[in-house]
Amino acid sequence: MAEAFEKNPLFPIANPRSICFFGVSSSPFSMGTNLLISLRAMGFRGSIYPIHPQIKDIQGLRVYPSVMDVPQVPDLAVIVLAAPIVPQVLEECGRKGIRHAIIVSGGFKEVGEKGVLLEKRILEIARRYGIRFLGPNCIGVINPGHKLNTTLISYTGAPGFIGMASQSGSFVTQMFGHLFRLRLGFSTAFSVGNEANVDLVDCLTYLGTCPNTKVIALYVEDIKRGREFTRTAKKIALQKPIVAYYVGGSETGKRAGFSHTGAMAGPDELYSGAFQQSGVIRATSVIELFDFCWILGTMPPAIGPRVVIQTHSGGPGAAAADACGRAGLELPELSKETLEKLAPFLPPTGSARNPIDFTYTKNPLDYFSKIPEVLIQEKNADMLLLYLLLPSQILKRNLEQMGLSEDQIREQAKQLVDTQSGYLINLQKQCKKPLIGYTFQSTDEEYIQAVLDKGLPVLPDAVRAARALKALVRYTRWRQNTLKHSGT
Amino acid sequence: MGEKEKIIEQALSEGRNTLSEYESKRLLHAYDIPVTNEVLVRGYDDFKGAIQKVGFPLVIKACAPDLAHKTEQGLVRVDIRNEEEAQQAYEEIMLKVQGSGGGILVQEMVKGHRELMVGMTRDAQFGPCVMFGLGGIFTEILKDVVFRVAPIERKDALEMTREIKAHKILGEVRGMPPADIDELVRILINVGQMGLDHEPIKEVDINPLILSGSKPIAADALVVLAPPT
Repeated sequence: MAEAFEKNPLFPIANPRSICFFGVSSSPFSMGTNLLISLRAMGFRGSIYPIHPQIKDIQGLRVYPSVMDVPQVPDLAVIVLAAPIVPQVLEECGRKGIRHAIIVSGGFKEVGEKGVLLEKRILEIARRYGIRFLGPNCIGVINPGHKLNTTLISYTGAPGFIGMASQSGSFVTQMFGHLFRLRLGFSTAFSVGNEANVDLVDCLTYLGTCPNTKVIALYVEDIKRGREFTRTAKKIALQKPIVAYYVGGSETGKRAGFSHTGAMAGPDELYSGAFQQSGVIRATSVIELFDFCWILGTMPPAIGPRVVIQTHSGGPGAAAADACGRAGLELPELSKETLEKLAPFLPPTGSARNPIDFTYTKNPLDYFSKIPEVLIQEKNADMLLLYLLLPSQILKRNLEQMGLSEDQIREQAKQLVDTQSGYLINLQKQCKKPLIGYTFQSTDEEYIQAVLDKGLPVLPDAVRAARALKALVRYTRWRQNTLKHSGT
Repeated sequence: MGEKEKIIEQALSEGRNTLSEYESKRLLHAYDIPVTNEVLVRGYDDFKGAIQKVGFPLVIKACAPDLAHKTEQGLVRVDIRNEEEAQQAYEEIMLKVQGSGGGILVQEMVKGHRELMVGMTRDAQFGPCVMFGLGGIFTEILKDVVFRVAPIERKDALEMTREIKAHKILGEVRGMPPADIDELVRILINVGQMGLDHEPIKEVDINPLILSGSKPIAADALVVLAPPT
């Protein structure tokens, strides 16, 4: 696996040791200048060789008049130049011995006839020199573990476990903030652009072997190599989950077909079938794409659809029950054994009918430790969904009443959250059943952030939590069935 | 050249984009897909023999390449129970198809309340894809269909039969026996194979695929060929 990873043709694109950079300019606002700033802000550890015929230095880096003057053969060329000069520059890179490139420049196939010809030319040059390149018309690669970011937006979070291949650059860079708030991050993310030389399937193959990638996210508008995609995805999905957000078209029946089958083979139906067949879990929004990745990348298999909901509030419990039902999950009743074990924790106001509503707990810590410990052992259930409300205000108020100083309150509150979330994490690791939280509080809330820091997924809505759990059930079932049928 | 190739080559050499119902079913039969017992006739003498062979009740249809929407054009008569009805149907339909080079298809009347549909379409990106869904008049109204990329395995075919919204129709309903799922699975796999084996086949419709008791039988079929490029 590790060998396949490093031998993959995309490895030097995502893990270059040195980069030559085309597109610096004296303008502080240019795309090239901005990309160079992003690249350096990440703290890229290898050499960067900016190329420009006139400029002598930029951002404290020595600029080389030509790639031929660079003292080594860089692993990767990043090209952010006007389309018409890209062929010439790629040719020079080829002569220099560079075999990998990211062509950020737009102005190729996507602009029509003239661009189509330009794209053919760069493809021909690449073929001649054996160059593999990402793009054109893409924002490149982000690999936080390697401190590589060729995109316009700075990546300030930690490396994560989500590998992504996207037919939209925006769904890579513009999701940074969303991911960081959930304490998620990319292992490696590719923006594939026009896919002239490296396409979605190539990126999928690479991410399949990438040891830092636990789950693969795809943003899909149009898969060019459909059969290779299904074959590749099916192989990878047995090892790690793949989630796809597809927006190609819901214009069913638009095709003129002489037959009924032809008329009904709208792209949406075909993609649905291809995904289902190859174990790719389909998400219906970009937020859901990352929700599914979150749960599929962190949780153990869900061997069935039965969920126990733990709450201390009626409304959130009912909302979760409704969401689970709509998502196709089941809410089993608790067994006699569980009811007996639960009795000491259940106040007279509570209800032991799933969703289990405690209303309150004499010892608040029980809600995060002893109670979920009992519930997750329920033999009739496959998963535990826990309502999390950590009202910092109340907590702080209580500590204030105890006469503690501001520093002490902060310290105490932090400790409490650490203990609570620590219990849950340990519990989840021991029991090997999925356990996730949901809340209606903002994920920016400091206590939710503290729980997320510990690695416990907390979805900011019952519907999102239920749908993500269902995705986990579907993936588990697909994998088990596929293994069973293949006789391994 | 095997029988399958012969049927396709014949049509292509005549510059046709479709196989007739009769040809389509011969191709399906060659793929071990159960089709109605039927005889294609061109004259009245043959017709009388065909009636004897198929037996009442039967269906009489016009049969010619490029003949779609037969029901709408009044080119199908079903549940014909005696010679008199048969003769009348023959004359009416013959009148309409005269000069088109077609013939008359005398077909066994398959009894069954559950109409399904199986199909194949060649997608530019995914290649041959197999379809399964509700057939008959519900095909276009409910569009309850699912697709898979060929070749499909038993597992895929099984999932298809469970994935349509109306999947309960395949179970034991209203005194009808459960559908022969193994047979359905085989049909789905083989229709995908047709697409893989023959590049010129662009689309296949088996609609309706009637459940006669538990057994699926292709009651109508259409094979669309790729127009010559």
